[in-house]
Amino acid sequence: MAQILQYLANGLVFSSIIILGSIGLSLVYSIADFANFAHGDTMTLGAYGAFVAFGVFGGLGGTILGLPIGFFLSLAVGMAIAAVVAVLTHIFVYKPLDTDSIGLLITSIGVAFVYRAVLQGTFGTDFLQYDIRRSGPIPVLLDTLDVAVTQRDVAIIVSAAVLVAALHLLLQRTTLGRKMRATADNPDLARVSGIRTDRVILVMWVVGSALAAAGGVFLALYSQLDPRIGFEILLVVFAAVILGGIGSVYGAMLGGLLIGMLHELTPLLSDIGLPIGTAYAPAVAFVIMVAVLLVRPRGIAGDMT
Amino acid sequence: MSTLDVGTYSPREKGVAGLLGALAALLLLAVITGVLAPAYLLYLVGLSAMYMLLSMGLNVQWGYGGMINFSVAAFFGLGAYGTALLTASGSPISGGVSPVIALFGGLGLAAVLAVIIGYPTLKLRDDYLAIASLGLAEVVRIFILNESQWTAGSAGLTGIPLFFSDWPVLGDLTYPYIFYVGGTPLFNMSQSVVTSALNVVLVTVIVAAVYLFLRRIHQSPWGRVLRTIRTDEDLAETLGKDTFAFKMQAFVIGSLIMALAGVFYSHLVLFVSPSDLQPITTFYVWVAVILGGTGSDRGAMLGGFTIVAIQQGTRFMTDTGALPIGAAPLRLMLVGLLIIFIVRLRPEGILPPERELIWPDSLGGGRDE
Repeated sequence: MAQILQYLANGLVFSSIIILGSIGLSLVYSIADFANFAHGDTMTLGAYGAFVAFGVFGGLGGTILGLPIGFFLSLAVGMAIAAVVAVLTHIFVYKPLDTDSIGLLITSIGVAFVYRAVLQGTFGTDFLQYDIRRSGPIPVLLDTLDVAVTQRDVAIIVSAAVLVAALHLLLQRTTLGRKMRATADNPDLARVSGIRTDRVILVMWVVGSALAAAGGVFLALYSQLDPRIGFEILLVVFAAVILGGIGSVYGAMLGGLLIGMLHELTPLLSDIGLPIGTAYAPAVAFVIMVAVLLVRPRGIAGDMT
Repeated sequence: MSTLDVGTYSPREKGVAGLLGALAALLLLAVITGVLAPAYLLYLVGLSAMYMLLSMGLNVQWGYGGMINFSVAAFFGLGAYGTALLTASGSPISGGVSPVIALFGGLGLAAVLAVIIGYPTLKLRDDYLAIASLGLAEVVRIFILNESQWTAGSAGLTGIPLFFSDWPVLGDLTYPYIFYVGGTPLFNMSQSVVTSALNVVLVTVIVAAVYLFLRRIHQSPWGRVLRTIRTDEDLAETLGKDTFAFKMQAFVIGSLIMALAGVFYSHLVLFVSPSDLQPITTFYVWVAVILGGTGSDRGAMLGGFTIVAIQQGTRFMTDTGALPIGAAPLRLMLVGLLIIFIVRLRPEGILPPERELIWPDSLGGGRDE
């Protein structure tokens, strides 16, 4: 039982990362109308951006949830870098294209490779770590529930929750959010209603990439940083988006939560005797994705926006 | 009309032919002057022919049928692993089977996987197929990487024999092989040159056979239906065609061609490892196809040359130390930029299909008049 609780706790951390990635992917899918294969590498880009920034700000004193203030500053820098790069990519690569959503999909693979080539060429392929000391599990949780959760895990979950809540407020309580939802729902109708959809699309790239970058930073913090982390997790993020229903931000959150949990629950399979090790965790996610595509292509929340 | 006459070539085709001719002359010069080892040149020819095969396989799926298959690396890998597991001395399963029989092992594996991947995904929207096929290709790679009791895992498989190793004459040549004309020794060839040359002969036969086969099916009623599906699947459906069956057939044929390339690769390089199944392999082939011209088999050939040029060119440039960047990121960068620029500047590719789609008999007037 404690074992399952432990998996669920791990799942919550991993879900937080997947949710941050899947929101942006879902936004691009609904507003720009293509499967953006560069999204994973946008996550990596943000993680490296924060890594560089952390070299500058890392010394700033004070800690929140066991992480230095400088880390959160670096996180913001990483998010900003990813947003700027994504907007530039949109303006110089995607926007001038006269092609359909399949052409955009193929182009996005080219973009992903260019991002990764730059990162790999600059930083090499070695594993990197944010220079933050790891602490042991929180004693209270370990004693009462027999679950090992570090302060860092809690920081990831709380930060993700704050970002998701902020996005929720943006979408529901601001004019900009209403415009975004209208554009996602029906771009043509939004345009004839007087919404400057060009600008909304730019905002969408900013929001989606910034959240992706945050996901990338937390992924690097949770495990480690190398140029492939984003591309490797991209398929899991796609699984979350498809499970949630493409184009639905709230669906993407729900899908991210479920896929993240299932990903971390994979060890249960070998616990009950199936010869499926943890290396197959992404495979489990893909199989679920394919099953969803077959049974309910709209996803579990495909009708909500 | 005039651009389609048999025997006349468009300026672009002449340009491409001229460029390839110049490149061939340059490589030949490099061999004569001793800059490039003859065996290495032959190896490169074999490698480009292998990429041609992969591109032709993808062309059946994407070019003819409009299916976005991002699991090229998986089919290639299954072909390579299928034959390697049966023939290699380092194989954890059996080893020692004749390559000619093992060939069918590789093809069989790929056909089974094609049906497994194709059955659930070919009914889906195009972009879902892209995502699902990339995911399933990763599953195959993870499987090969982790099930080391069957696949030798990350260490890879060594001790793969040459394709002709157990053939009557070709398998028993003694080296250095001396080629006699009328009793006088003419050439004195080292083992590496002979084996490389045999590989080139083998792959040339395979490419020619596949090319003729594809040309035939592309121009058949079957190929016409497939092209209709690519343009408008609903239309094909309305005309009473079982589009799923047609797509499945094309998917399996394409996958078998990719597996054939994998089989050849195994016996060319004599080593396979899970890193051959990296997604980058898939996207090399995509670049080859969209660069050459979607739906064009001649374009696929041009694409195959380009990929080997990228791989070897980057290696050469970084070996000379002229660049501050490693070969791997440089390749990624080139592949990425090529994809972006092709879609932007020339989405139809350099050699788009023209005469491929037309029976020779219906061209050039004369006979029909």
